[in-house]
Amino acid sequence: MQEPLGTLALSALNRSSVSTQDKSSTVAQASGTAAQPPRPSNTPPPSKPKGWNSRAGVSRMRRIIAEDPEWSLAIVPPLTELCIQHIVKNFQNNPILKELLPEHKQKVLDLLSPDLPLAVTANLIHDESYWRRCCTQRWPVCHVAKHGGSWKHMFFERHLENLLKHFIPNTTDPAVILDLLPLCRNYVRRLSVDQFLPPVKLRPPPRSGDPSDSGSEAELEEPATDHYQLGDLVAGLSHLEELDLVYGVKDCGMNFEWNLFLFTYSDCHSLAATIKACHTLKIFRLTRSKVDDDKARILIRSLLDHPALEELDLSHNLIGDRGARASAKLLNHSHLRVLNLANNRVRAPGAQSLAYALAHNTNLISLNLRLNCIEDEGGQALAHALQTNRCLTTLHLGGNELSEPTATLLSQVLAINTTLTSINLSCNHIGLDGGKQLLEGMSDNRTLLEFDLRLSDVAQESEYLIGQAVSANREAARWQTSNPSHFMLAVSAKDSENSAG
Amino acid sequence: MNPPGSLGILEDKEKERLSTPILGPSILSDNPYERIQARRLRIAARLEARRREALGEYLDGKKESEEDQSKSFKQKEESRLKLAKLLLCGTELVTNIQVAADIREIHRRVEEEEIKRQRLEKLENEVKTSQDKFDQITVRWEEGKQKRIPQDLWDMLNTQKAHCAGLIEDKNKLISELQQELKTKDDQYVKDLKKQSDDICVLLERMEEQVKNVMKSFRQELNYIEKAFEMERQDLLTSNKKTWEQALQAHKTKELEYLLNRIKKVEDYEKQLNKQREWDCEEYNKIKIKLEQDVQILEQQLQQMKATYQLNQEKLEYNVQVLKKRDEESTVIKSQQKRKINRLHDILNNLRSKYAKQIRQFQEENQSLTSDYKHLVTQFKELQKAIRHFAFIDDKRFREIWLMNEEEAKDLINRAFDVDRIIHTQHLGLPWTAPDFWFLRNVGPISQQPQRSATQILEEVLLQTEEEGTEEAASEAESYLDLPKQISMKTTRKILMLLCDESGFLIESKLLSLLRPLERSECYLLKLDAIFSEQTSLTLALDSGEQADLKRQKEGSLVEGEPEEKAPPSPTLIHPNEVLKILEAFVMGLKKPRDSPTPVRLVKYLRDNSKDSAYWEALATVIPPATLNLWDALYTALEKYHVVLTQRAKLLMENKALEQQNTELQMLLQQYLDSKINSELHVPPTQVLRVPTK
Repeated sequence: MQEPLGTLALSALNRSSVSTQDKSSTVAQASGTAAQPPRPSNTPPPSKPKGWNSRAGVSRMRRIIAEDPEWSLAIVPPLTELCIQHIVKNFQNNPILKELLPEHKQKVLDLLSPDLPLAVTANLIHDESYWRRCCTQRWPVCHVAKHGGSWKHMFFERHLENLLKHFIPNTTDPAVILDLLPLCRNYVRRLSVDQFLPPVKLRPPPRSGDPSDSGSEAELEEPATDHYQLGDLVAGLSHLEELDLVYGVKDCGMNFEWNLFLFTYSDCHSLAATIKACHTLKIFRLTRSKVDDDKARILIRSLLDHPALEELDLSHNLIGDRGARASAKLLNHSHLRVLNLANNRVRAPGAQSLAYALAHNTNLISLNLRLNCIEDEGGQALAHALQTNRCLTTLHLGGNELSEPTATLLSQVLAINTTLTSINLSCNHIGLDGGKQLLEGMSDNRTLLEFDLRLSDVAQESEYLIGQAVSANREAARWQTSNPSHFMLAVSAKDSENSAG
Repeated sequence: MNPPGSLGILEDKEKERLSTPILGPSILSDNPYERIQARRLRIAARLEARRREALGEYLDGKKESEEDQSKSFKQKEESRLKLAKLLLCGTELVTNIQVAADIREIHRRVEEEEIKRQRLEKLENEVKTSQDKFDQITVRWEEGKQKRIPQDLWDMLNTQKAHCAGLIEDKNKLISELQQELKTKDDQYVKDLKKQSDDICVLLERMEEQVKNVMKSFRQELNYIEKAFEMERQDLLTSNKKTWEQALQAHKTKELEYLLNRIKKVEDYEKQLNKQREWDCEEYNKIKIKLEQDVQILEQQLQQMKATYQLNQEKLEYNVQVLKKRDEESTVIKSQQKRKINRLHDILNNLRSKYAKQIRQFQEENQSLTSDYKHLVTQFKELQKAIRHFAFIDDKRFREIWLMNEEEAKDLINRAFDVDRIIHTQHLGLPWTAPDFWFLRNVGPISQQPQRSATQILEEVLLQTEEEGTEEAASEAESYLDLPKQISMKTTRKILMLLCDESGFLIESKLLSLLRPLERSECYLLKLDAIFSEQTSLTLALDSGEQADLKRQKEGSLVEGEPEEKAPPSPTLIHPNEVLKILEAFVMGLKKPRDSPTPVRLVKYLRDNSKDSAYWEALATVIPPATLNLWDALYTALEKYHVVLTQRAKLLMENKALEQQNTELQMLLQQYLDSKINSELHVPPTQVLRVPTK
């Protein structure tokens, strides 16, 4: 190890040519020093040839230590480099970015620290890599695809969500959020808040502490009052398209209180006003928030004739028939494309009203009524509606106590309808005969791509055959999308397959 | 039981794993459902396996039927189907948990409802029974009030107490039951939570496994596809190589054919070439001989040409020398000429400058001269005027002088006559008769009244009008023109102008062109002159006999012409009544001079002097020479007489003078003697002198 080092140093010395008159002596000294363990520090370049005799002087003589990775011949960095470093150092006080050349700009962005205040960076930096660093520094898991593929959007959306999650009414200063508004108004498209903390009266939870703890420590003397009012914030966000809210507390553990999960009337009213005022809103989700009939009606009334709304998700609530009726009214007074009422308390009358609305609707694509109890009456009404409907593609009726009569009607629908691509009838009591009838209906259908009949008391054979037909349909659809000219061929092939099946 | 294939095994394992937590902790009533579900899943898996087999077979059949499709495509399709199935199965497997949870929830709900209903019924029954009991107790209280006997009352109270205790116990039992139920519910909640967490664990496991499986199978399929592609590529390569080789072979054979053809062709061409060559050779020889002959002839010609050339050369050399000399000469001359040209140029320049100078000078001079000329013209005009004036005056004076001289001469003649008469009568004593001559009767200058032409009159008129304008100098004009007095100068002028304008046909065209640049008045003048001269020439050419007629005719024509001209009425010009008069007067005025035979053109005041000398001569020689001789002789005699007389007179004169002298001297002496000084003197001269005093 020592030998090559020594030779290296020697050659380097020769190259650097300290002084030609006493080269031989330096070589000798260098060979002597090479035997020594290499100094870890970077030796200063010997500007003055002093101390020839002492060993320290000799070591100082060495211009290059081969094993020093920091060393480079370019001792003085270029002025641009210095300027860039200075800009980076003083970026907080004097942000210079737009005036720079593209290459220098990139350098500055690479060197900027992610801890800079948002007021400086928010509207100045559009470089994705910088925001990517910010995101990855703050959160270990980042799904940028969820935020429209933009790291900047993701940063601001998640930042805002964090603030909202930890906002405690009457304790936290609302300016914390409203100050951020001018910075993030252009970059927030979706807002998904899965907890709203209730106000705390007696002991304000420590701000720095774990948010879950603070939420759990909020043992309320009085019944929980209202949560944070979104009105001001949403009004300021001009590009907001998606709103995903859960009025509840996460990770409460043993500190469970019913009060923590109250969605009060004033909350409901303010939320209704908020979503009514937000004309860019496309997707609105309010799940797991104990929304009952009245509150659902308040919300839906505010959504009537909304210009942009396309998806409404009120799953995992307490909506009954009246709420279902209201949403049925909404279907024909908006451009709603997706309606999700899963895990609610909709029964036959609600389903009937929905079916009535569905019969003439031309917007709705997807309807989810999972885990309700619409029973055969509601199921039959929906099946009748589907005979005239030409728009719905996805229908989820899992877990609805449906049985044979609905199945017979649905089999008729399957023979006629050409728009439905996905039906879910799992967890019902279709029965063997119902299964056979569905199979019959399925034999005439060419469009259905998914048909879920799991745990619905259907005979294995019919379920299998239905599966075959669905997969054949899927093949045909694939053929059609890949090359429409071969569609006919695929159809004939499928026919032959059916006959074989 | 286990369907063939690793996937099936995996699924089975998972199912078992799934079923165990479901089966294990669940309530007894749940068990059959779970079991049913598990069984169903197993059956579904088996069916799927079977279906897969069937599909595989089907795919095989497809393979056979679609031999033409490529291996890779088949492999791709196969893999795709496989993977789609795998994904479907995987999602089904994963969603199975959700479905299971759903159905559990539904069952729970149904049960819950049932239990709730039972509980409610129970509670209602209990309420009813307890109410009955309470009613009994209250009824007993009424009975108890009627009881008077304490023992009875006590008994009753006891029974009442027992009843109440029974009631309370019932209630308590109910409460405890409900509490028990609550506890079991709590337990179940905990269990449910645990189960759910287990479910989630299973879900996660399955998902992970699924991911792994899918990755593995995707990789495998990718490998298969790659292999298939490789194979296909290999096949393609080999087939292409084969076709390539075949093509190469075909190419080779074709090449050979071409080569042979080419060789044949080359031979043919060679033969043809040889033939051509021979033919060409013969041709060449023929041409060569011919050309050689030509060459000889040409050489001869060349010699001749050379000779002539020599000759010409010499001639030309001589010429050249001559020309050289000439050239030298010409150069000399040229230089001379050049010098000359230079000189001439100088001269020319000088002359030019001089010329320019002179032009300038002459222009100046011209200007001055024109001004002078103008000046002179005016002067001349003035002079003319003066001349006219002076002429008039001279004429007058001439006349006066003439008259005077004539008078004098006549006086002298008369005196001479008187003298002659006296001489004749007194000295000679002869009778004297007075001579009678024509010229003695003449008084004034001998002259004719000059005849004036119309033009002159016109000129005068025009000039007058021009110069004097409105001045009424009619008297003079009228003296010349015997115009009626009522016609003014202006009208006359106007008439003349009209005449000039209208009777342009009489003027020659040449004259018109000449007249154009002249002034207006002059123009008119000349025109009128021409017109009238034309008229006069016409008239003069005719016989005197016919003159009157012609004149009359002319008058007529003129008079006729006038009204015509007047037809465009211009009332301010001339009154139509006057026109006739004017013209009449005019023509009459013209007629007068025309009567005289003398030509009209005469200088205005040119007099005929020829007769004057004769006249004066005659006047001078009024006394004939005989008388003169007489007179001479008389003169000499008289002179002699005169001399005598003069001598006598002289003597008389002397005498007289002497007498006078004498008297004067006497006077002087007297004077001196009388003076005072004589008295003063010592010796008075008087004393000395004895002056004879008288």
